[in-house]
Amino acid sequence: MADHRDDFIIAIRYALLKKGAKQKFSLFFLILLSISIITLDKFEFSFMSPVRATLNDIVYHISVASAQPEKLRRSLVQKTKQHYYILNENKFLKKEMEFLKKQKFNNAFLLSENQALKKALDFSATKSFEREFSINAKVILDQRSPYLKSILINKGTNSGVKKGMTVFSSDYLMGTVIETNFISSRVLLLSDLNSKLPVFLSESSTNAILEGTGKKNKLRLNYLPETFIIEPNVIIFTSGKGGYLTPGIPVAISYLGKKNNILIKLLGDPDQALYVNVTNGQINQ
Amino acid sequence: MYYFIIIKKKLFRSLPILILYFFSFYHFQAPEVGKIGVFSFNVQMILIYFYVLKFPDDLGFGNIFLAGIINDAVIGIPLGTTSLSYLTLSLFTTYIRNSTIRAIMTTEWFTFIPALFFSNLVYLIIINNFSNVSFFYLELLQNTFFTFLFFPLFHYIFNQYQRLISKE
Repeated sequence: MADHRDDFIIAIRYALLKKGAKQKFSLFFLILLSISIITLDKFEFSFMSPVRATLNDIVYHISVASAQPEKLRRSLVQKTKQHYYILNENKFLKKEMEFLKKQKFNNAFLLSENQALKKALDFSATKSFEREFSINAKVILDQRSPYLKSILINKGTNSGVKKGMTVFSSDYLMGTVIETNFISSRVLLLSDLNSKLPVFLSESSTNAILEGTGKKNKLRLNYLPETFIIEPNVIIFTSGKGGYLTPGIPVAISYLGKKNNILIKLLGDPDQALYVNVTNGQINQ
Repeated sequence: MYYFIIIKKKLFRSLPILILYFFSFYHFQAPEVGKIGVFSFNVQMILIYFYVLKFPDDLGFGNIFLAGIINDAVIGIPLGTTSLSYLTLSLFTTYIRNSTIRAIMTTEWFTFIPALFFSNLVYLIIINNFSNVSFFYLELLQNTFFTFLFFPLFHYIFNQYQRLISKE
């Protein structure tokens, strides 16, 4: 028994300390180095922040270059699909245009009525959707990871991007900046497990928290009233609770799933976002 | 011509390192089959396990460490997490290499289970205690299972490749 234990200890010690013919570092040294880096990163020493930011900038840009072949393949497949889709869509749009022409007059009336009501409530459109600050950025990497659903953008602290800023794509809310480097930043998408957003549901004006589950078309609404049953095609808006987001930004919509269950999907597709607007919480119009 | 042969040989011998770095920079994800991400597996772990076990001189621990750091920066988790996970895998693999007398593919395949287990255990402990990131345990489990499942295929490919370059 004792011999067996000694053999085990000798084998482990040998594995830890013995360097191979061409090995420059022993496992023991590298394991200690890893633990030191984790500890330094955890306790956020002042010198770690620029080190990490520089490392991230370098790694992200090499990562973008390595993702180019896959990007090209994806774009070719997408363009082929798009071609056939556009053909069908064209037919459909012609019909829809006819219908919309008729609706246009009705909408003009509703718009003027809405403006008059907002004026009466002192809640004008220009006030709520005022653009205070906006940075246009390009999505440089949207690698899917089982851990974080995030994208990388090509603007960082040198362009004024700060942690906590809100990111929009085509006027739809995409997520929040969670990490800033000098020339790049990481945006946590609304679909991520760590994303939680105060929202209200149109029509019923019920408040809830929209949580990510890792899938863009399977989000979760928490803290709804106990008896509340959500219906399909309900648009979900930001409630503005918490203070940093303007209320009334459309975020998601409920829909009927394949098993006749109600699911929630994002209005903006994070996979399709090429350019985004980074703002301090106001929608970019 | 002589220099060309030397460069070619060096390049062929460095291919495992290049693959390791490539997959650290670029996380590929093939389309899901049904609801299961069959092609979501960890090539780096298979590569590290195979080379540390069979050809330790072709894949240095320093490269493994650096690939882990790059992987952490790309994914956005605390620096050093993946490095420590890969180094744990290397430690376990070195232990297996030292204790095994006769190497058979099946034995190597099954010893990959505890190696993966310890490596992922280290990963989970660090993520849970050193970061605020919540992640998908089921996806990690799927990823680990398919990493284990695809090992024989990569074992064959890497073996054939090593035979090919040793002939040249």
